Amino acid sequence: MQITFEKLGFTYQPGTPLAFTALKDVSFTIAEHSYTAIVGHTGSGKSTLIQHLNGLLKPTTGTVQIGEQVITSATSNKDLNKLRRKVGYVFQFPEAQLFEETVLKDIEFAPLNFGYSPKEARQIAIEQAQAVQLPTDVWEKSPFELSGGQMRRVAIAGILAMKPEVLVLDEPTAGLDPQGSREIMSLFQRLHQEQGLTIVLVTHNMNDVADYADHVVVLEKGTVVGDGQPREIFADPQWLTDHHLGLPQTTAFAYQLQQRGFVFTEGLPLTEKQLAHELAMMLKGGNNQ
Amino acid sequence: MGKIIEVKDLTFHYPDQKEPLFDQLSLSIERGQWVAIIGHNGSGKSTLVRIIDGLLAPQAGTIFVDGMPVTPENIWQIREKIGMVFQNPDNQFVSADVEGDVAFGMENLGLDRDVMKYRVDQALRKVNMEDFKGHDPSRLSGGQKQRVAIAGVLTLRPDVIIFDEATSMLDPEGRQDIIKLMTKLHKKGYTLISITHNIDEAAMADRVCVIDDGKIAADSSPAEIFAQEKELIAMGLDVPYSERLKDELLHNGIEVPHEYLTEKGMVDWLCKLHSKN
Repeated sequence: MQITFEKLGFTYQPGTPLAFTALKDVSFTIAEHSYTAIVGHTGSGKSTLIQHLNGLLKPTTGTVQIGEQVITSATSNKDLNKLRRKVGYVFQFPEAQLFEETVLKDIEFAPLNFGYSPKEARQIAIEQAQAVQLPTDVWEKSPFELSGGQMRRVAIAGILAMKPEVLVLDEPTAGLDPQGSREIMSLFQRLHQEQGLTIVLVTHNMNDVADYADHVVVLEKGTVVGDGQPREIFADPQWLTDHHLGLPQTTAFAYQLQQRGFVFTEGLPLTEKQLAHELAMMLKGGNNQ
Repeated sequence: MGKIIEVKDLTFHYPDQKEPLFDQLSLSIERGQWVAIIGHNGSGKSTLVRIIDGLLAPQAGTIFVDGMPVTPENIWQIREKIGMVFQNPDNQFVSADVEGDVAFGMENLGLDRDVMKYRVDQALRKVNMEDFKGHDPSRLSGGQKQRVAIAGVLTLRPDVIIFDEATSMLDPEGRQDIIKLMTKLHKKGYTLISITHNIDEAAMADRVCVIDDGKIAADSSPAEIFAQEKELIAMGLDVPYSERLKDELLHNGIEVPHEYLTEKGMVDWLCKLHSKN
């Protein structure tokens, strides 16, 4: 499903003395099957923006088109319900939403609510528990007995059980240890590659952007200030610093080398694999002369 | 200098778990030292510092803080020596303005109002937040909130400050900000214990302890710990960038030095190699 923001504006508590314009004149497109990262300083409007993707917020001005559906300030709440089945939304700390007695009961909650029979819902829950690689011995346990990383997987499986076409992720690795973070990020990568899910990732972690995203949108003070491929966005370290954004570790490292006379002909590399490869070419190339 | 914290033969067992979390664990920390404690989720890092602060009671073993055993009788004196900064600053605010919040910890000490005011101002200066006295803490950035939380701890004049994943919920700028502040506090002579997954934070410490499987699995300088890359990955930790890059260079047939290099050291080494060609 393609998603298009067209001159989107959003104001909290409009018409009151507390009115606060969080987004203005936001226009960009998220292609179907893309992996789009939305980055920006704290308070830049990232969370407000993605809450438009499943109708938690409606535009104050402008439109959001998601697949066939166009959402404006006049869209009825009933029409937004359709959207919620197509767009799965993984909030920050999604494990805070777990509530059922067992892992499988928690995962099948959404399919049961969407009218599947108990048997079908159980089937879906089992498929999704497998998709997020929850070991079978925890399926009948209380989700609250599991580790933080496993609880998060249960919550994600519950969202996947709605069979969304788009998965919106708001800081999905916050609070996990490095191993847990790597596992969750490769899970999304697999869903993206194998099931063609469109992924929208909100993150502060530029390494994740470099490793996984194929499209980056940079927000600042509620407007889009950058929109392109990761290599384009990360090509200008000074610009990123000016916008209070970090660089991926590799890009920051390569930038230091560039200032000491190394030449990267195709722009600054994004991952350590790319950097090591380019360095090897330069260093070995020299030996042959 | 002397030992500020001494843990001897600690055994701790959560009642609902089959295995003890710690089995005869020992650890001592010198006054003024900055110790990073790293380990995967569930390895017991937070439990250990809660035992040191007397928030949890061990089944066996003794803990001394500044020479005093941690016992129910001593607990209040012990807690005056130890300040804790937690992961989520939002869970720590109680007051409508920064000033009131920083003062809150002192309310129970029966201090004069003037003394309290003096300590609040002094603490806010130390964390560079003196311009935010009247601000609503909930409207500050993550890094600013943590600085306010640290100021609250400083008013109690602790000897030891424990940072329990205090940088993990901050954005990169906020994180750098707090690491800088920790460096400053370390220079002023506070004993710091950082529980962290963040390699930049651990790299600043004098000493890194790795907790795994209920034991201190490694205890050494950051440089020595970081040189053991494979072991770190196995424990669910992040590996310093220079070590990961060395690994990739090896794959590409480039000989790399064995010892741990900081990022700057790595840049220098690559430049030297480059200029020879």
